[in-house]
Amino acid sequence: MAPARFAAFAITFALVYPIAYFICVENNFALFTYHPAINEWNVGVQKGRDGPAMYWYGWLATSGIVALAAALLATLLPDAWTRRASSATWIVALGVMLAFCYLLRGFFVR
Amino acid sequence: MNSTTALLILHGLCAVALLGAITHQAASVLLPARRPAGSFAGRFRAVPAASYANAIVLLYIVTGILGAIVYAEYRISVRTVIEQLEQRAANGSFELKEHFAAIGLGLLPVYWHYWRAIEHSRARTAVTVLLAFIVWWSFLVGHVVNNIRGFGG
Repeated sequence: MAPARFAAFAITFALVYPIAYFICVENNFALFTYHPAINEWNVGVQKGRDGPAMYWYGWLATSGIVALAAALLATLLPDAWTRRASSATWIVALGVMLAFCYLLRGFFVR
Repeated sequence: MNSTTALLILHGLCAVALLGAITHQAASVLLPARRPAGSFAGRFRAVPAASYANAIVLLYIVTGILGAIVYAEYRISVRTVIEQLEQRAANGSFELKEHFAAIGLGLLPVYWHYWRAIEHSRARTAVTVLLAFIVWWSFLVGHVVNNIRGFGG
């Protein structure tokens, strides 16, 4: 991949991935479920079997696929778009981190 | 010592290497040193930061994979204990760790790009500092949570 195309890919991936991940967590859009107690994987969201169900791997996969598709599409866009969006990558990531702090505030405040 | 404990130690060792590398790099972009630096602190931030980028990406991925493997055992053996002890802040801190680590993973391609490109100096600094925060948070929370359950527990 040429440097300019890789820039578009990397910047778009960084912009889309955190938002997609947050949406996946909030709505439990897990591509698959892992049952650690019985070491079993299932496609989609499943309830726990003989123990807890783990969705984290599935959230990573779903958001990774969404971000990958968006990033590949962005390689077709003009370079000017990439330059404008470049400074926003860390702001989006930081914003999503703060959103998770708010989402999980119940663990820290009663 | 079972395989999970061995993997946890390996995960911790990789995390130490990652912590050192990203801290050197973050210090060098936040407080660039005059060369030649005389003091320990000056030499700490006078490293050739760009040369750390490949190693940091590799260490982040390897540490993340090892963490993802031992995470299943954490979910069964450690989290249940933390919930029984009603250590809500520890539990929440680990929840944040998993989400922060995931967000850091998504930043790796652009982090690598910023360190290869001449432009983007502000974005490069911001992403490097953000990754450093994620690594520090993950390291400290992982260490504390592991101590709650105890070695080999």
